[in-house]
Amino acid sequence: MSDPSVPIALTAHLALVSSISFGGFPTVLPDVRNFVVSTHGWMTDQEFADLFAIAQSIPGPNMILMMSFVGWRVWGFPGAVVSAFATFGPPCTMYFAAYRIWDRFRDAPWQRIVRLGLVPVVMGLVIASGVVMARAADTSWRAVAVTNATAAMMLATRLNPMWLILVGGAFGGLGLL
Amino acid sequence: MTEIVGGQEVRRPSLGALFTAFLIVSLCGVGGGGGIVWARRVAVEKRRWISDREFADIVSLCQFMPGPNIVGIAVCVGARMRGAIGTLAALGGFLLIPWAVGLSLGLLCLKYAHLPVLRNILDGIAAVASGLLIANGIRLLMPYRRRPAALVFAGVAFSLIAFGRLPLLVVLFGLVPISVAVAGVEAARAR
Repeated sequence: MSDPSVPIALTAHLALVSSISFGGFPTVLPDVRNFVVSTHGWMTDQEFADLFAIAQSIPGPNMILMMSFVGWRVWGFPGAVVSAFATFGPPCTMYFAAYRIWDRFRDAPWQRIVRLGLVPVVMGLVIASGVVMARAADTSWRAVAVTNATAAMMLATRLNPMWLILVGGAFGGLGLL
Repeated sequence: MTEIVGGQEVRRPSLGALFTAFLIVSLCGVGGGGGIVWARRVAVEKRRWISDREFADIVSLCQFMPGPNIVGIAVCVGARMRGAIGTLAALGGFLLIPWAVGLSLGLLCLKYAHLPVLRNILDGIAAVASGLLIANGIRLLMPYRRRPAALVFAGVAFSLIAFGRLPLLVVLFGLVPISVAVAGVEAARAR
C-alpha cells in the first residue's frame, strides 16, 4: 500500500459520502463496501463484516469507528485518524452552518415538502444497508435466520439492542451459526 | 420539575461541562439508536440547558441534514450554549475519548479475529447488527405507510442499492428530486 493515491482515494470517497449521508452513516455502508471490497479489493466481505460487528458492539460513535477501522486496514494509524475526520468533518460543518440559519427556514413550507420527499428515500436506504450487510455477514442459513429474528424482535418489542447483540455473540461463540 | 421560561435566564455551562455531558451521551449509546434519548436526558432533564421544545427543534433540524443525528445534536447544543467553541467542546467530548478507547479495543479484537471462537462471535454479532439496521429502517418508515408514494420511493431506493448496487450519490440525486416533486404536487392538491 505504498501508493499515495490509495489513502487519498479513500479519504476523498469518505468525505463525499459523509456529505450526503442523510439518515446517518448506516446509509453509506453499501457504497463504502462497494468501494473498498468490490472496486479496490482492499479487504474481503468477511473482513468488512468483522469491522461492522466490532464497531456495533463498542460504545461510542460506532460508525465513525467503523470508517476508522477501514482507514486502518488501508493505511495504518494515519488512515484511522484521517478517515475519522473525513467522516464527521463535512456533516459537522454543515450542522453548524445550518443551525445558524435555521431560524430563516424553520417554518418555510418548502421545508416540510422536502422532508416529506427525502425521508422515505432515506428509510429505503437504511433498510438496504441492513440487507447489504446481512449479505456480507450471513454465510449460513442459520445466520440469515438470526438476522430475520433480530429484525422481528426489534419491531415487536422495546428491547435494548445491546441485549440482542450479546445474544448474537453468544450464539456465534457457541458455534451455533 | 421547574419550568424553563423562554430564555430569561440563559445558563452558560463551562466548556468542561459540555465535554463531560457529551462524553456520557456517547458512551451510553450502544448498538445504534438510544443516543438521542440520552442526549435529551442529559441536556434537557438533568442539566436543564435547553427546553424540551428547543431540543425537539434541534432534532428536527438534524433529521433534515446528512450525518448522524446525535453528532448534530452535540454540534447544535454546543453552539447554542457557547458558540463555535462550545461546539468544539461538545464534539470533543462526544468523540475524543470514546474514539481512542474504541479504536484500541477494536484493533485488539481484530488482531485475534482469526481465532475460531472470536470468528464465530463476530459472525453472530454481524448477523444481529444487520437485523437491527433493517428493523430501524422499517420502524422509521412506519409513519409513512399510508402514503403510497412514500412506499414506492422507499422501495425503489432500497432496490437500487440492495440489488442495483448503484453508488449512493447516483441514487440520492436521481430519486430525491422526483420524490420531493411528488410530495410538492400532493401538497398543492391538498390545499
